[in-house]
Amino acid sequence: MRFWFLTASLLSLLCSVFALDLHGRILWNEVCRGAQELGSAKAILDQGKLQGGVKWDGTFVIHDVHPGTYILSVLAHNYTFDKLRIDVSDSDSLPEVRPYIPGTPLSPPSQIMLPYPILLSARQKNSYFAPRQSFNLLAMFQNPMMMMMVAAGVMMLGAPYLLKNLDPDALADFKEQQAKMTGIQNSIQSGDIKGSISALMDNDDKPRSTGVSTSQSNQTPTKGRGKGKRR
Amino acid sequence: MFCFLIAILAVFPGVLALHEFEAGVVDWHKTLVGVPLAHSPSIASVFHRVHDTANTTRSVILTATRSNVLAALNPGDGSVAWRHIFEPEDPVVAFHRQRDTVAALSGPGGATLRSFSALTGSLLLETRLHDPSSGHLSEPIDVGTALALQATESSQPDIIVLTDGHSVRRIDGATSEMKWGWTSADQTSLVIYTKLVATPSTIYLIGLAKSIKSNTLHITSLSAATGEVIEDVSVPSHIADGPGDVIPLTSSSDAVPRLAWFDRGVIRSMLLTPDLKDKPASTKEARYRRIIDIGLGEGHGMFLAIQGDGSSRVFRIDEEGPGVKAIWEFADSAESNRNAESVYSGGLDKDGYPYVARVFWSHVLAKANAHVFVPHLAEGQGLVAGFAFPFDTRTHGIINYVAIDNAHHGGFQVLTRLFLTTTTGAVQLWQKDSLQWTREEGLATIGAVEFVDLPEEKVVHSSKSEVFLERVVRHFKDAKDFPSYLIAFVNRFLTGSYETPSSALPFSANASGLLTRDTFGFRKIIVVATAAGKIYGLDSTSGDIVWSRVLGLGWAGEIGATIHPVKIYVTRTVADGDTPQVVVVTQRRAENTLIDTVLFHVDALTGENARDSSSSGEILQGLDIISGPLVDLFFLPEKKVIVLIDEFLGLHLYPDNGATDEAFAKVASSLYLPLRAGSPGNRRLVGHKVHPNPELHDRYFASPVWTTAFPASEDILSVIRPSNSQPVASLGKVLGNRTTLYKYLNPNLLAVLTASKTASQCSIYVLDSVKGSVVYHASVPGASGVCDVKANLVENWLVYYYYNGEINGPGQTKGHTMVSVEFYEGSKPDDKTGSSDMSSYSNKSINVSVYEQAFLLPYGITALASTSTKFGMTTKDIIVANQNHQVQSIPRRLLDPRRPKRKPTNEEMEEMLIQYDPLLPYEARSILSHNNQVANVQRIVTSPALLESTSLVLVYGLDLFHTRVSPSGTFDVLSENFNKAQLIFTVSGLLAAIIITRPMVRRKRLREKWYQ
Repeated sequence: MRFWFLTASLLSLLCSVFALDLHGRILWNEVCRGAQELGSAKAILDQGKLQGGVKWDGTFVIHDVHPGTYILSVLAHNYTFDKLRIDVSDSDSLPEVRPYIPGTPLSPPSQIMLPYPILLSARQKNSYFAPRQSFNLLAMFQNPMMMMMVAAGVMMLGAPYLLKNLDPDALADFKEQQAKMTGIQNSIQSGDIKGSISALMDNDDKPRSTGVSTSQSNQTPTKGRGKGKRR
Repeated sequence: MFCFLIAILAVFPGVLALHEFEAGVVDWHKTLVGVPLAHSPSIASVFHRVHDTANTTRSVILTATRSNVLAALNPGDGSVAWRHIFEPEDPVVAFHRQRDTVAALSGPGGATLRSFSALTGSLLLETRLHDPSSGHLSEPIDVGTALALQATESSQPDIIVLTDGHSVRRIDGATSEMKWGWTSADQTSLVIYTKLVATPSTIYLIGLAKSIKSNTLHITSLSAATGEVIEDVSVPSHIADGPGDVIPLTSSSDAVPRLAWFDRGVIRSMLLTPDLKDKPASTKEARYRRIIDIGLGEGHGMFLAIQGDGSSRVFRIDEEGPGVKAIWEFADSAESNRNAESVYSGGLDKDGYPYVARVFWSHVLAKANAHVFVPHLAEGQGLVAGFAFPFDTRTHGIINYVAIDNAHHGGFQVLTRLFLTTTTGAVQLWQKDSLQWTREEGLATIGAVEFVDLPEEKVVHSSKSEVFLERVVRHFKDAKDFPSYLIAFVNRFLTGSYETPSSALPFSANASGLLTRDTFGFRKIIVVATAAGKIYGLDSTSGDIVWSRVLGLGWAGEIGATIHPVKIYVTRTVADGDTPQVVVVTQRRAENTLIDTVLFHVDALTGENARDSSSSGEILQGLDIISGPLVDLFFLPEKKVIVLIDEFLGLHLYPDNGATDEAFAKVASSLYLPLRAGSPGNRRLVGHKVHPNPELHDRYFASPVWTTAFPASEDILSVIRPSNSQPVASLGKVLGNRTTLYKYLNPNLLAVLTASKTASQCSIYVLDSVKGSVVYHASVPGASGVCDVKANLVENWLVYYYYNGEINGPGQTKGHTMVSVEFYEGSKPDDKTGSSDMSSYSNKSINVSVYEQAFLLPYGITALASTSTKFGMTTKDIIVANQNHQVQSIPRRLLDPRRPKRKPTNEEMEEMLIQYDPLLPYEARSILSHNNQVANVQRIVTSPALLESTSLVLVYGLDLFHTRVSPSGTFDVLSENFNKAQLIFTVSGLLAAIIITRPMVRRKRLREKWYQ
């Protein structure tokens, strides 16, 4: 009887064109430790017409794969796996396994060959949720904007006391400087660019050639006006 | 690349992702398994008890379903312990269980064998027995397949499997290696093996040989160790019906198995010995009508026979005498007009004793009754424990299958658990007369869905003028709610616990117990019609069933019929001032192949019949509007008229009264109907115009105007109408250079999917349905000869998906492809043709510029839809259901066909365009269904909420899943992330600063005044 069965199966083999069974295995790693964690999963070729379920030991078999180029992907609900390119040829009894990056052209094929039977492991566990933002006082003050604000506040509060402790000469100097700056600001605001420039120039100790100053004065008005407008 | 990554990160902002605390609050999920199959004992649901430790047992209910799922349910709460979903081309045909192993055969002729762990469902073995395409297709599908498990020394039992009616294999359950195989020598002979009896030494194959008049038995015995044939005999017999008339019997002791069969009114039986020499024995009188396998043949040697008058007898192997003997006759089991037909079932208890149950509906008591026969009690004489249980036949239909599980508490105390399935797809577990749980598995067969808005909660005022005293009394009555209102107000003010879009909605009902709308309009009624002949009203916030009605069969009730829902229309909305109403349009296919179109008109809040006031407890009766099949139907939303078209192109209106006739007469001349014509495989799309019927007053008919000029080889698969009734918020898109692209908003657009018969090619067309002109056409390859194109058309945006399996040259790849196409008016920006209100006969009507772009998806998808919001201002995302049982949202920005293929220029950046990348990223946070598995999705339905930002999404197929999405973020409500504490802290910080600095400033001022 075994004879009959063998002949029948041989006949069916002869009748059908060459096809092979793809064997593979999912290796457990720290991302996915076992079949219980993985849950129901399957390995599919292309869009899923050919497929094999992942068994409790991680192995899978895809039956009757005809010669051609396929993309193997693993469908597991909570885990992401790499995709592989599988080439089955009628001359070779073993398929060629190559890594495949989705979106890249299939030809020319990658030079890297992977071992057969196919070995795969979970790349990452899907995390579906965004962490909730909670209120944290420390984190709030670590924010640069917040730090600048605090610094500005401290400066504002602390300035009078700082001025009080300065020696009178330095204070006079400082006041003079400040008066000049306000003068420049005022002249810019009133549109008297020349005045402001000359005020700046006066402030400069070094003497300058007139040519440079005129060229500067030719350029700056537009800029200054633009700035003024934007404000 | 880096820029691209940044851009992608910018597209997936935190607003899209779900927070963990929102999971299960903003969404709900129903895991379903489908309506259990019961057509054959090898597939029927059973209780299965597994000894997980020495003293404790756990049981599950194993069931194979019409949705092609093998599942285990927990009898305690009805939850799904595990399920395995088979592919559509791989139907489950039989399963068999022993201890911790469940073996299942699937595919044509039993092509694939799998085995599972009975308690966890982990896949232990999967092996291909033969090529599915060469499998024997039989009717019914399970003929010629059988399974037996035989315990061995190793941890897993060997599986002996019969496939294709002539091949037997013994397969090692641990390694899936074939120990031996046997194929019947003469496969062309008329013997088809249908049953398998396995003993430790011998395997008996029981087949039927077809002869002219009836079938004769053919038995072959094989050696269990080697698979060699020991003996092969034909038993002179006359089996009229088929495999159901033959029951193999083995008893628990190591006695020789016996085969019983039904032969022209008598029950005959013979011993199964390896040499097959036994002479058949027979019952004396020819008084039986049929025999029933109650699942106790294997191991207990019991079966049931129905006598001529309909009464039933339990038979068992007669270990002393020859043959089988009747051990019990159920009292009053003869046919009578007091009881409906009985359902029989066998089951076991914890110690393995068999029980036989008879369950029937009593018309007199209006209750279901169960009589459980316990053979081993009363010193082996047997006794019957009977009880009635209040099965609700009006909401669940008729019991069509029962499985039992028993417990014996000493003496005559027998506790029976009944697992029953009904004609409406409900699955229930009764413990004696108390209902433990109900699963509405009919929801796995949804055919039509519609969202219905709920009315606002009205303050119940009596409109009639009331006397002063009455008003004072009413105010005092109302004042009792004041303290709770005050507490709620203070609480809200202090803690900031406002109602947010992600908080759970409390159940709200108005004074008359009807559902009312919530603040944001998230609560709606989802009216659902199933192929199991029932309609449901579901609460969209929780998925709870608010009401359900069984659809009546009308005149076909006598002969039996099935009802296929076609569409649901909301014919009265809340805006019309009264309770909303829906009309369910169905086609009823009677057993005598007559098809009628039937309407059911119900109140959407209660399920009450809105056509007449029949009592709510009764079965809902419909209106036979067309005595024949329906060709097409459409709805005139302004007039609230449903127009149905029969096969003779006659038009039928519902509701049909003077007002609707008049309303329809006004619009009839401007109606253009594209209808599918021709037989399947050769369908064309033909445009029709509506004319008044000259012979019949107030009747209309459609006459053909145009036919699509598609190639003759193309068959129309489906017509996709744009997701309608959504307002268009903007007519164009302003580009970075201050020019405008005007959207092509032709209201008559249609998408048509076709498949070509000769080349494996699928086409997608976008047509103007008034004159049939093609606006857009694309051909895509069909994946291995099957056209599986999914498409969605909304406004001027078409998105379609197909699998591209063709590689035509270098630089190409295979992949799941999604194409995004946008139509704009004219040939360049700033070209305005006014397509939204232009006549279709205008020359400019197809003056369209098309932008399209293809993207690759990481997984295949089974359904897609776009989100819809109240005013259409919010971005429309695409919601897809993928192969991996997930529901995912793809942001509109990623699918923009105008994404530049280089670094975006400043103008493009202004438009928020990001650089094109062929791959759409698989971002776990965009998966709306998170941890839930949403399997075999058929359709995605979206509906606007009251909040403009939010869209409700219902996904159905095998499972049901509902969630809320806000594609542009919840811009119209305070974000869930809004940090009230931070705000308060900052404000109080500033307050403190003012309090501190105020005296300082005052002092300073004062000093300045003194010393200046």
